[in-house]
Amino acid sequence: MIVDGFFIVGAVVCLVSAVICVGAAVIRQPPNDITILSVAAVELILLVYGVAAIIRQAGGEAIAGEAWEFWGYLLTALCIPLAGFWWAILERSRWSNLVLGAVGVTVFVMLFRMEQIWDRVPL
Amino acid sequence: MNNPTGDKAPAAPTRHRNSGPGRLLIAVYGVFALAATARAAFQIGTKFAEAPLAYLLSAFAAGVYLLATVSLAMPGKRWFWISVGAVGLELVGVLTVGLFSLLDPAAFPSDTVWSLFGRGYGFVPLLLPVLGLWWLYLNRPGRVTQPTTERSSPPA
Repeated sequence: MIVDGFFIVGAVVCLVSAVICVGAAVIRQPPNDITILSVAAVELILLVYGVAAIIRQAGGEAIAGEAWEFWGYLLTALCIPLAGFWWAILERSRWSNLVLGAVGVTVFVMLFRMEQIWDRVPL
Repeated sequence: MNNPTGDKAPAAPTRHRNSGPGRLLIAVYGVFALAATARAAFQIGTKFAEAPLAYLLSAFAAGVYLLATVSLAMPGKRWFWISVGAVGLELVGVLTVGLFSLLDPAAFPSDTVWSLFGRGYGFVPLLLPVLGLWWLYLNRPGRVTQPTTERSSPPA
């Protein structure tokens, strides 16, 4: 059973971001530099994953599932941190940190699906 | 950016449906609107003939989630009642489809968001409308209406 390295790194970043944001909400903090940067890290790892996926697929590496489905997930996932950031920053209450935490959880699920598509691993 | 939020002094009264916990609720609805729409589009686009009823139901669920997301985020009494309708419809949908998919699995050969009470999504589809209706009840119109309900939207 092979699990993609990009998936592992991405999953860790997402979960760390979610824990930071939920933790900040629990201690009643509005979104601050740390929580926003953790969401930015999620976006960054998605971009890196995307560029690497272009290179890997151009280099002839095969995807087990449908390529367009993988890219559908990736392009949608790229929008999620941006949308979450926008929605959270319009009202800077501690609840907005939970919105930012939801970004990490959602992107984690999407990365999980992308990994299933890429390697057809029934994780 | 550690602002001790002096501007947030009155805790409860000026609240609105899309404020405080409502922001998280709307965000989760948004995620489900996205997931359900993508799923329905995928099912209808690639294999509609296999299970037309289930896939039309997927599309219907997607529409309900989209309407709920938008109506919860919008101010005003009319949008309040639209969101009550959308969230209520969601509750009816998840209970009906959940029950039927349990009793007669053959009628639902393919999964929808609401199959088996949303088991494929961690039962969040079952929890969401209950929380949604509760939140709407807490923020029903005419409860603690402040004269400043028409907040000027912040420069986005």
